[in-house]
Amino acid sequence: MLGLRRDKKDEEDGFSLNPFNNLEKTSVLQEARTFNETPINPRKCCHILTKVLYLINQGEHIATTEATETFFAMTKLFQSQDVTLRRMVYLTIKEMADIAEDVIIVTSSLTKDMTGKEDMYRAAAIRALCRITDSTMLQSIERYMKQAIVDRNPSVSSAALTSSLHLMRSSGDVVKRWVNEATEAASSDNIMVQYHAVGVLYHIKKTDRLGVSKLVSKFTKQSLRSPYAYCLLIRIATKLLEEESEGRDSPLFDFIETCLRHKSELVIYEAAHAIVNMPNTSARELAPAISVLQLFCSSPKPTLRFAAVRTLNKVAMKHPAAVAACNLDLENLITDVNRSIATLAITTLLKTGSESSVDRLMKQISTFMSEISDEFKIVVVQAIRSLCLKFPRKHGVLMSFLASMLRDENSSNSSQGGFDYKRAIVDSLIGIIEENPEAKEAGLAHLCEFIEDCEHTVLATRILHLLGREGPRTPSPSKYIRFIYNRVILENAAVRAAAVSALAKFGAHCEELMPSVVVLLSRSLLDTDDEVRDRATFYLNVLKQSNKALNSAYILNGLNVSVVGLERALHSYTQEPSETQFDMKSVPLATQPLAEQKAGARIFGAEGLHGAEVTPAAKAPDKVAATRQDIYAEQLAAIPEFQGLGPLFKSSAAVQLTESETEYVVRCIKHTFTNHIVFQFDCTNTLNDQILENVTVQMEPTEGFEVLSYVPAASLPYGQPGITYTCVTLPEDDPTSVIGTFSNTLKFLVKDCDPNTGEPDEEGYEDEYVLEDVEVTIADHIQKVLKPNFAASWDEVGEDYQMEDTYALSTVKTLEDAVKNIVDHMGMQPCERSDKVPADKSAHTLFLAGVYRGGHDVLVRARLAVDDGVTMQITVRSTDETAAEVISASVG
Amino acid sequence: MGFFDTLARWLGMKKKEVNVICVGLDNSGKTTIINQLKPQNAQQSDIVPTIGFTVEKFASASLSFTVFDMSGQGRYRNLWEHYYKDAQAIIFVIDSSDKLRMVVAKDELEQLLNNQDILSKRIPILFYANKMDMKESLSAVKVSQMMGLETIKDKPWHICASNAITGEGLPEGVEWVTDQIRSMKK
Repeated sequence: MLGLRRDKKDEEDGFSLNPFNNLEKTSVLQEARTFNETPINPRKCCHILTKVLYLINQGEHIATTEATETFFAMTKLFQSQDVTLRRMVYLTIKEMADIAEDVIIVTSSLTKDMTGKEDMYRAAAIRALCRITDSTMLQSIERYMKQAIVDRNPSVSSAALTSSLHLMRSSGDVVKRWVNEATEAASSDNIMVQYHAVGVLYHIKKTDRLGVSKLVSKFTKQSLRSPYAYCLLIRIATKLLEEESEGRDSPLFDFIETCLRHKSELVIYEAAHAIVNMPNTSARELAPAISVLQLFCSSPKPTLRFAAVRTLNKVAMKHPAAVAACNLDLENLITDVNRSIATLAITTLLKTGSESSVDRLMKQISTFMSEISDEFKIVVVQAIRSLCLKFPRKHGVLMSFLASMLRDENSSNSSQGGFDYKRAIVDSLIGIIEENPEAKEAGLAHLCEFIEDCEHTVLATRILHLLGREGPRTPSPSKYIRFIYNRVILENAAVRAAAVSALAKFGAHCEELMPSVVVLLSRSLLDTDDEVRDRATFYLNVLKQSNKALNSAYILNGLNVSVVGLERALHSYTQEPSETQFDMKSVPLATQPLAEQKAGARIFGAEGLHGAEVTPAAKAPDKVAATRQDIYAEQLAAIPEFQGLGPLFKSSAAVQLTESETEYVVRCIKHTFTNHIVFQFDCTNTLNDQILENVTVQMEPTEGFEVLSYVPAASLPYGQPGITYTCVTLPEDDPTSVIGTFSNTLKFLVKDCDPNTGEPDEEGYEDEYVLEDVEVTIADHIQKVLKPNFAASWDEVGEDYQMEDTYALSTVKTLEDAVKNIVDHMGMQPCERSDKVPADKSAHTLFLAGVYRGGHDVLVRARLAVDDGVTMQITVRSTDETAAEVISASVG
Repeated sequence: MGFFDTLARWLGMKKKEVNVICVGLDNSGKTTIINQLKPQNAQQSDIVPTIGFTVEKFASASLSFTVFDMSGQGRYRNLWEHYYKDAQAIIFVIDSSDKLRMVVAKDELEQLLNNQDILSKRIPILFYANKMDMKESLSAVKVSQMMGLETIKDKPWHICASNAITGEGLPEGVEWVTDQIRSMKK
């Protein structure tokens, strides 16, 4: 009775479920000595081997001596003729091949089994044998392997072929000699043998492109029995097509296309998949593949339906028009019992569908939204977002759907889960607001509603920041105040701080709201949290000055410096206090635009002063971008010649000065300082029989520029990049001439050396190598800066140094091209998303902001009008006269 | 070992099983000897150098032998000792035409005899002076002198000249081993 009860308890605890639980390694190895006994008890030995295998697979570490002892004991089991036991022995040999020593002891025993009469042994013995064989031993079993490959028994032949594939990795040369046998096996009647043989043949010839294409053409002519072999051939052919970038008229493509009419579904799918994933396919080539997938959509087999719809879903990104033909079949799949198929079908339809079907589809989705997992919900949300970009007019339906998804999620599930899902929705909503001005008000209203009951601080702060930026510019800003102020009353400190910042922006932007905002802010003066209190006090004092310039500089636009750089500068300032005041202009600027391209919608919130609002996602790229320049700054600061140049203003992207396959590869990075430019040349020597010494780049500057100093790279051995610098002074007498072209020559001392040892000769000779020219453009003197509120900054800078001019841009035909050219040329940051030109408009205004070398703000307003060519009226404002002149002069 | 096994053996229907280990230098003819001893239908036509070991079975009049046919190549000789423990007899094959390497064989034999697992046991050792058909081959007596077999005092041993290819001399040795094992049991 007692025993029974204990058993029951064990069962409940889940102990007795696995008989191998709590195995002791030492006791198992002790038991393994049973193998030495005669006569052998197969049942018992099988059980012990299972335990050993279990231990090994659980990751138990078995020391070499222990393993070897057990292994040798196990070899005695070869006495037994018990089939099960022998097969367990093969398994154990394979598992212990790497942990025991002298495993080759079983070679002859395995060779005997693989050539023996017992078919049950042969395939397994081959696999075990190849596992324990190294390249030196392979010679002795080569004869048997060749025989096994062409064996009449398919399992033996397959085992030999797959083992050859494994051996290929360690001793490819030997396996290459088996090509005749593999070729013979490829004509086998058995589908698996054929498949494996084709695989081996391909791997033998992998490095020889001609061989591979011969192989493919040979097998495409003679028809294979095995569908698997066909799939493999399709993959090989696809790879060849990709490498050769041959036209579609190549026989390989024809082969893949004929496979679309194969009788096996496997082959048909593989061929369709291959065609669909090829780069640059035309609609005509796609059509047959798509129609096959379309057929699969109505297949009774769920796997086929899933495969087809998944592939279509991917293709829909690249070729929505081609997939549109399947819309009808996809619609049938919406109601599929398999939810994964249904979701994929709907999201595909959303990508390909027409505007009119959107409403119906959205209704359909909402019926089963609650049944699918978060992962698929995110897929749906992303599909909706891209749909919104495609059909801007449908934003009403789509956004209210997203909002209701948010609402349902809030009411049904208040736990921590679903954050990713909510973030995806909020991201989409924000993205839509950014892209589509018409959607702004509705979107903001949805978001306002969401933050009323939002437990994720990160999302709430992001939305508050967005409200602060976009809200004041809507027709009726006052309605947002209530939502924001509710947050000040109800939420945690981080959200309260964000809300205070948002409120201040309303006050700064809308004069009629100023008195009310001042009242609200003054209530936060006694907040329990330091950050909230500090922000409230700061904003309140700025607002009370009623000064537009102040408002713009400190509330609406914030700081543009890199946070990392600011921290470092302040730290060094406090370490070495001096009489002079801390100069903000000495801090490197944040290189946001890099982050902006990647993070698109997430760029806001990355400004310095509002650091608390930075979302983790936005912070990561920003930091990376900041550190790239910081690394350069550090490297340059370590060079004594460049000590007196002041803070690094801007580092350009790298420009290649040579072709990538030449003897010496050089790329140039331009570092702009206040009055100098340092050219950094990253040189790589690609000749393994030369060592270059004393490497410099001789620069022939345009008039006015003066080469100040060279910092040579002492030695440039083969394959190791080295850096040499050339420092150039900018023209002092004429501050407006800042653009120039430099012709460069790489000068060095060559020493020949032994390619193997790298020992250089004593004697060397001077040589030089002509590089391509480097241009210094206006963009090198300007750092991009994002002004979230351009109008405020425009007023802040004022008309003191304003330049205005009108140009006709004859070379560009469209507004998009004009905008792109101007942005590239100026190297400035487009603000207010003015770099996106609305379709079918004949006029556009581009706002650019930047900081000119020396820390002067520069703003550009370019009014563009298209008629025949593009006409541009450009207005430059700056806090410095030279900067304004330079920039307006550069346009011409 | 069940009751039926005992009964079957007593009735002479099932033979008693013995473990034997077969050692010797490479190319001395171990695998060929074992192959010759096997029943006609189980014999192999070509013999290749053994790597590691193989397990073979054959029967004499009253015993069933399980032989561990070890590889004789230099690099595998140190692996022999793993199989000494449960051996009930040792077959040591010597190439009687290879005078040059006789000392090597002698050396290996000494190592074998000094092994812990062998030292304490009174285990019969059968020497085959193989390749007796070769012209330059030595007689069994000469071989036993060169190998210093007379120094083995604590174990029964026997040497017989053999020709593994024809099978000449092999049955004599097997008979001796059978007798030794049976006498030991008594």
